[in-house]
Amino acid sequence: MRVSSRRWLFLLLLFFLYCGALVWAQEHSSGEMAHEALKAAGAKGSSLAWWMWPLILFGFTFVIGIIAPLSGVGGGVLFVPLSTAFFPFSVDFIRGAGLIMALTSALSATPQFIRKGLANIRIMTPLVCVSMVTSILGGIVGLWITNAFPSGKYYITIALGLVLLIIFVVMLTSKRVEFPEVKEQDPLSRALALTGSWFEPTLGKVMEYKVTRLPIGLVCFAAVGFIAGMFGLGAGWANVPVLNLIMGAPIKVAVATSMTIIAINDAAAAWIYLAKGAVLPLIVVPSVLGITIGARIGAKLAVKAKPAFVKILVMGIMLLAAALNIVKGLKGLHII
Amino acid sequence: MAEKNQIHVDPANLIFAKVMEIVTYIGIAVMIIFGLLYLVGISSFVDIKAAIAHWHLPVVQFWQEVVGIHISGYDWFLKNLTAMDCLSMLGICILALAPFAAIIAAWPKVGATHKVLVLLFFILVVEYLFAILKPIILPGVGGH
Repeated sequence: MRVSSRRWLFLLLLFFLYCGALVWAQEHSSGEMAHEALKAAGAKGSSLAWWMWPLILFGFTFVIGIIAPLSGVGGGVLFVPLSTAFFPFSVDFIRGAGLIMALTSALSATPQFIRKGLANIRIMTPLVCVSMVTSILGGIVGLWITNAFPSGKYYITIALGLVLLIIFVVMLTSKRVEFPEVKEQDPLSRALALTGSWFEPTLGKVMEYKVTRLPIGLVCFAAVGFIAGMFGLGAGWANVPVLNLIMGAPIKVAVATSMTIIAINDAAAAWIYLAKGAVLPLIVVPSVLGITIGARIGAKLAVKAKPAFVKILVMGIMLLAAALNIVKGLKGLHII
Repeated sequence: MAEKNQIHVDPANLIFAKVMEIVTYIGIAVMIIFGLLYLVGISSFVDIKAAIAHWHLPVVQFWQEVVGIHISGYDWFLKNLTAMDCLSMLGICILALAPFAAIIAAWPKVGATHKVLVLLFFILVVEYLFAILKPIILPGVGGH
């Protein structure tokens, strides 16, 4: 049996186990449990049974998992704002789950990208050295704000909406270049030999590439790492434009390298959330299961999908999430 | 033609990918299997009913209301590994260790091509260890 078949069977087995557990939990939930769950749900204006939330989370993250590889984002950038708008969980737990989701999808994709030559640890290492520090700082600041200020979560929600609006504008104005021409590397990039090659099936040949402007890239990644750690995002939304538009990496290399960077940055930031208790298995397990299975399907679809369609799809979701978060934050502060 | 289309991936990259893949699968399996056992009600540290009733609260308030503790560091789940939710947390820890394990495994190989990468890997390892240990050695940082 091929390795990929075994992986699919492994994921399917986990999926069926999950569904079985949900059914079992539903059948064995006591009257008291249902009452408490309804009470909790009632506080958020919903009469859904408690077991519905993990099921909805699974379906929700499954869809995100399909969309994420099509657009080169980790998934957290879609999960965090949409969950903040639609789910009853605290923004702290949503950020924690978003971070673990983005980490898992990046960890699942990175080995394949490296073997195909699309991702390279020589390019990733200097960028991660900088962004790991700033992502840890971002994680600390994000949790500190919600706990130190009673209304801090509403400001974070508004800030998240504004960040998404900025991303929307960046995506709207950016012209992704499939194969940028890098005439000359800067001395630092040359010294680190930031070059590579991969086989491009659409052209039927091996493509060589080299990246440049590493010092500017380092500054950009420092800023991106901070925002990603603060909001529990995967940061693929910003990594890809920096690698592609500033450093001259081909779009496929930029997406693959972005996933590798997400894996390492999010792994470092995850410890903050674990140590603060902001990771609840009740929320994280269905989310990770959904995105893991969805990402496998999304990766297959990515080969056939038209990039223009995907871009419009993601931008539409981002705009909607931005608007919802800003409205939610403003309502929380009683401004509207 | 097939040989012409072959690309060269250096050993450091290949080892990095292999170790990351193995540790990731172990982490996902541990997290999901014990997470499902938690969901069906086998030995839990955080009661599901209480968690659902309070999951809308900020993290500090949640833990005070649900378990009556102040969370700081990793001992809250490491000392309760008989509980399924804490074992599921261990799976998340394994996932978070996957890149670190990959870096350590690839480290001896990176110097063969570019010596400066050895230094950058060293910086990465130090940063990563700091990220893990910070909640223990600097528990007050972050407003707590």
